[in-house]
Amino acid sequence: MKKRNVDPITLSVVRGVLETAQREMTLTLEQTARSSVFNLAHDYSTALFNHTPEMILQGQDIPIHLGSLIPAMKSVARYFDGDIHEGDLILHNDPAYGGSHIIDTCMYMPVFYQGELVFWTVCKGHLTDIGGPVPAGYNPNAKEIFAEGLRIPPVKIWDRGKPRKDVMNLLLTNMRARRDQEGDFNALIGACQVGARALIRMMDKYGRQVVQDCIAELLDMAEAHMRKLIAGVPDGTYSGTAILEDAGHGFGDFEITATVTIAGDNCHIAVNSPPQVPYFINSYEGNSHSGVYLGLMMFAQLPPPYNEGLYRCVTTDMGPKGTLCNAQSPAPHMNCTTTPMETLTDAVRLAFEQAAPAKVSASWGHANGCNIAGWDTRHDEEYVTMVLASIISGAGATATQDGWHACGPECCFGALTSGDIEMLEHSYPIIIHRYSLMEDSGGAGRHRGGSGTCWEVEPLDSPMTLITFGEGRRIPAMGAAGARSEMVETKVGRLEVTRGGETRIITENVIETIRPGERAANKNPGGGGYGNPFERDIARVLQDVRDGLVSVEGARRDYGVVIADPASLTVDEAETARLRAA
Amino acid sequence: MQNQYRLGIDAGGTFTDFILADRKGEVRIFKALSTPNRPTEAIRNGLKIIEEETGLSPDTIVSNADLCINGTTVGLNALITHTGAKTGLIATKGHEDSIEIRLGHKEDGYRYDPEYPPATMLVPRYLRRGVSERVLSNGTVHTPLDEDDVREACCHFLREGVESVAISFVWSVLHPDHELRAAQIVREMMPDARLTIGSQLYPQVREYTRTSTAIVNAYLAPILQRYVRAVDGYFQRLGARQPVRYFQSNGGLALGKVVADQSVYAINSGPASAPQAAMWLGEPWGMRDIITVDMGGTSFDITLTRDGRANVSKNIDFLRYRIGIPMIQVETLGAGGGSIGWIDGMGLLQMGPQSAGSEPGPACYGKGGEKPTTTDANLVLGYLNPEGLVGGRLPLDVEKARRAIRTHLADPLGISVEKAAHGMFTIVNNTMVNAIRRVSVERGYDPRDFVLNCAGGATGAHITALAREMGIRKVLVSKLASGLCAFGQILSDVKYNYMAPAPVRLEGAEAASRLDRLFTGLEARGREDLALDGFADGKISIRRSLDMRYVGQVHECTVDVDPFEITESALDRLKAAFHARHEELYTYSEPQSAVEVVNVESAITGAVDRPGRTTLARGKGAHSALRGTREMIFNAEGIPHETPVYDGALLGAGDRISGPAVIQEVTTTIVIEPGWLAELHESGVYVLTLGVQAGMAQRAELAAEEA
Repeated sequence: MKKRNVDPITLSVVRGVLETAQREMTLTLEQTARSSVFNLAHDYSTALFNHTPEMILQGQDIPIHLGSLIPAMKSVARYFDGDIHEGDLILHNDPAYGGSHIIDTCMYMPVFYQGELVFWTVCKGHLTDIGGPVPAGYNPNAKEIFAEGLRIPPVKIWDRGKPRKDVMNLLLTNMRARRDQEGDFNALIGACQVGARALIRMMDKYGRQVVQDCIAELLDMAEAHMRKLIAGVPDGTYSGTAILEDAGHGFGDFEITATVTIAGDNCHIAVNSPPQVPYFINSYEGNSHSGVYLGLMMFAQLPPPYNEGLYRCVTTDMGPKGTLCNAQSPAPHMNCTTTPMETLTDAVRLAFEQAAPAKVSASWGHANGCNIAGWDTRHDEEYVTMVLASIISGAGATATQDGWHACGPECCFGALTSGDIEMLEHSYPIIIHRYSLMEDSGGAGRHRGGSGTCWEVEPLDSPMTLITFGEGRRIPAMGAAGARSEMVETKVGRLEVTRGGETRIITENVIETIRPGERAANKNPGGGGYGNPFERDIARVLQDVRDGLVSVEGARRDYGVVIADPASLTVDEAETARLRAA
Repeated sequence: MQNQYRLGIDAGGTFTDFILADRKGEVRIFKALSTPNRPTEAIRNGLKIIEEETGLSPDTIVSNADLCINGTTVGLNALITHTGAKTGLIATKGHEDSIEIRLGHKEDGYRYDPEYPPATMLVPRYLRRGVSERVLSNGTVHTPLDEDDVREACCHFLREGVESVAISFVWSVLHPDHELRAAQIVREMMPDARLTIGSQLYPQVREYTRTSTAIVNAYLAPILQRYVRAVDGYFQRLGARQPVRYFQSNGGLALGKVVADQSVYAINSGPASAPQAAMWLGEPWGMRDIITVDMGGTSFDITLTRDGRANVSKNIDFLRYRIGIPMIQVETLGAGGGSIGWIDGMGLLQMGPQSAGSEPGPACYGKGGEKPTTTDANLVLGYLNPEGLVGGRLPLDVEKARRAIRTHLADPLGISVEKAAHGMFTIVNNTMVNAIRRVSVERGYDPRDFVLNCAGGATGAHITALAREMGIRKVLVSKLASGLCAFGQILSDVKYNYMAPAPVRLEGAEAASRLDRLFTGLEARGREDLALDGFADGKISIRRSLDMRYVGQVHECTVDVDPFEITESALDRLKAAFHARHEELYTYSEPQSAVEVVNVESAITGAVDRPGRTTLARGKGAHSALRGTREMIFNAEGIPHETPVYDGALLGAGDRISGPAVIQEVTTTIVIEPGWLAELHESGVYVLTLGVQAGMAQRAELAAEEA
């Protein structure tokens, strides 16, 4: 720790300033962005990089972006190597350059100090639209990435301080709801500027060298921290396999396997997945980093701040090019940040569960949501958005407590907010009939998984296009430490469309037209349980029954608790003992 | 001030502060131990202490007081300990769970923490009942209210022994009839229950915020009602001329019946009075841009006034519950004298938020505390008098402080105890500075344009260091600093907030007249309420605010405006104010984009006369107050310097001291870093200025007087 002669006090102060800079970037994005996906879903990331560029601070915002900005930043810097100037601003979304999916656009601002490149301020956000044949970008019928939307390789939108209006116009002309997209680009630029301002102020105060030394130290400290955690796991090879269900492509279920090899304080994570498919669930390498790192975090359980030092002792192998988790052009990919990312995360988590059984929590419900689009007759304009409230699943239970209700999906880990229903009805011509928890949806266990949610919508006065994505409609969230559920049908997600008094259950990804008078209810799965459900305290089962979170039937089937009288919640103790002993 | 006295009683966690001001401007502070379980007992005890010390009996004071003012923590305590009333919710069917879904979010900072628990539900799911009814976003009825559903909910609540009921329906703000009819039914069937109606308590768009606010209110209303009855009754028996006024989180006073109905307004009253005190202290110099920092044993509270008005927050999470009503923005940090220094998993020195509290307290208290705290660092640095705090009533053990710092911090980090102590001081300051940025920079204000005001007993040791870090060049420290919030309450006005939803785009004559009608309607109600409370028209003032955004944005920013007639042409004035505020906050605006309003609010204030001011006698020069010297550390290397110590009680108006120096007041210690000059003003306020030498300042002032 003494090698750079860094003063431990200045070090703590620099860390605080970096966090404040990142926080102010986040606030700017969140308060000004148009896209509800990014300012409510917190489906954005802000990050600071040094000149090398190594990530020196990752906003804690959302696991989807945990790893993917790292390769993206490196790609972008490489692309413009030797041609990066003060006043440049670079935009990019292409997964071929380390991006996650093309609807997540990234803004990169090089920060110069006394004429030299010192930092990058970077942010990334999920727009409401990126052009292409289907509003909001998710096209379950796409066979190639070209059928999903606009690919933007690294491109300068400011050149030495001069905005390139022609380039912006080219991009915006290819997108729906242009006003919103333009506003979101402004928000991204504003956030980068706010971050740059804070970094420059810090260098003015402490001097560039001191700041850079402190940052190098922070990276080393994070590395040492992760190494210590890894060293605590017995050396060996651990493997986990999770099933990715067929959500409509017709190729059947897939297996994704993660193999974690621990050797001393190093960790290698290898992924094995089937060949890529002409369906929107392929994950390019940048995005797969996020899935792997989230699995790692479910083991490491670290508090913020996060920087690239954490991953120095972790090497990854996403498998051969052209596979589901290491896709290459022209594989369609739009769904990748949830599917297959969450299954990939599960595989890594399962491998770690073997390595550190007491520590790793259960899986969270996977995203199984929808986008909506149509014409808003109130203002005579088009609307398009992802519905965040449609992907709120239950959290996995942990070794110490029940899972949080309505906190998922796994790829977001509670980072998103679903937006107020009145504000949604104000912004879009819809009626939200229900946004509630669901009985028997949390995975059974000594600690119960969190409840999933149901979001039911009807268009106000004109037909609405509803596009679904994700999975988790057949296979419930995986439990941990011996948890198991008997009542599976209530623990998985699905879409229920009601027309003329008839309800149709849809478990595949579809594009549906919903008319006024018809309703679409999107149900999201609950989280996995933890431990043997027959060991759950009977009083807590009864409390859940009283609260309508577990039914009388669920109490019997999932928990072996037989309720003799539902009104008074009296227990048939003999029968309960018999069931629980079996 | 019409009568002999004004009495302020501010209940805190440990102490209840009593402020007695008389018409000559003399202000005295008394303290009694708080009695959280029997809140009126502390009031009786405090009045007894005042009688013992001054000979004035409680009925003499109360019957000769123009106002008795009470800031209470009964609501706050009930919310912290989850000991509010048994509460039921009647909601629109399908939306009973919004307060448990909490927008699907888990608080930041705990993303991968497997032990961070969900928020405790104030209304558990079995006491949340959905009823069939629905209003749409345009205010029309989609489904009429099913009254039987409401009756069934009441039966359920009666069986379960519910004491308080909240009613909150989707879009009720645009069409309150369903809520009002349901309320009638509840009143008929549950005549003993307290009732909170969402659209009346918080008539603003956002269902989750409104429902959550209504629930917090319902949860606290029976508690506040019992409390107000007890206090009002007690003061009536003492011969009070006026009903007791209660201090609210919006920074204003209210009648007891208002607080009993709108209990959520009484939730975080304590630190919300700091801005009033700050304005009063700054008045002789015309200072209107002031940041007040208040450091106690466990927490650090920050408030900000800009151009004489305090920052207001709406729609925030308070103790993990979403609350919509406007409250004075108080940024609270777990950083106080008792904050513990520790080394985190990465090997970095951190301060707090864990605190040694008052038991066992900092290591130097010698009451068994072994962990190094801020107070220990300040003692090792020489800032605090080892003979003890509070006039020697609390002796401090330097050796214990050094040992704690050495064992837990200095040795593991491989640095000296002095260097570690200065590091602790620096880091705790830096944590506070980052929090100050949240009330200033994040609100679009440059802290360097502000004066820093010192409140609370522990702040004085840090105040010049904080100012230096923020780039602030002027600091105020009142002799009343340790009781500044209680003092602020007796300087406050009666204030009520009136709100209305207004989801409308800022275009055309119809939008203009709708907004104008809304504001004038709200303000008519406000004037009426204040007139009933005895305020003449000339005493009433109005501030308007609009929550606005660019069409398509999800969040609004609140824009304050003066009252003026809103005509179609005046819409540009509103838009211009919004563009300016957006740019101030977020570095840019979009003058071409369409703007919409979501909610509007008028804050109506009835001015209360201020007490008089005292004037300190002229001093005989600072040398007469010099008590000696002590070794103190003002540098990161930890090298001590012999530094003069002054007795504040012996200083008079006009006396000047240049740093480095320490001024010891009975309840606070003021550390003046090198480069600062302190002057005691006749109003009892030390004015600390950076970068002027005593002599230079005097010459400049003389020159100014001559000019």
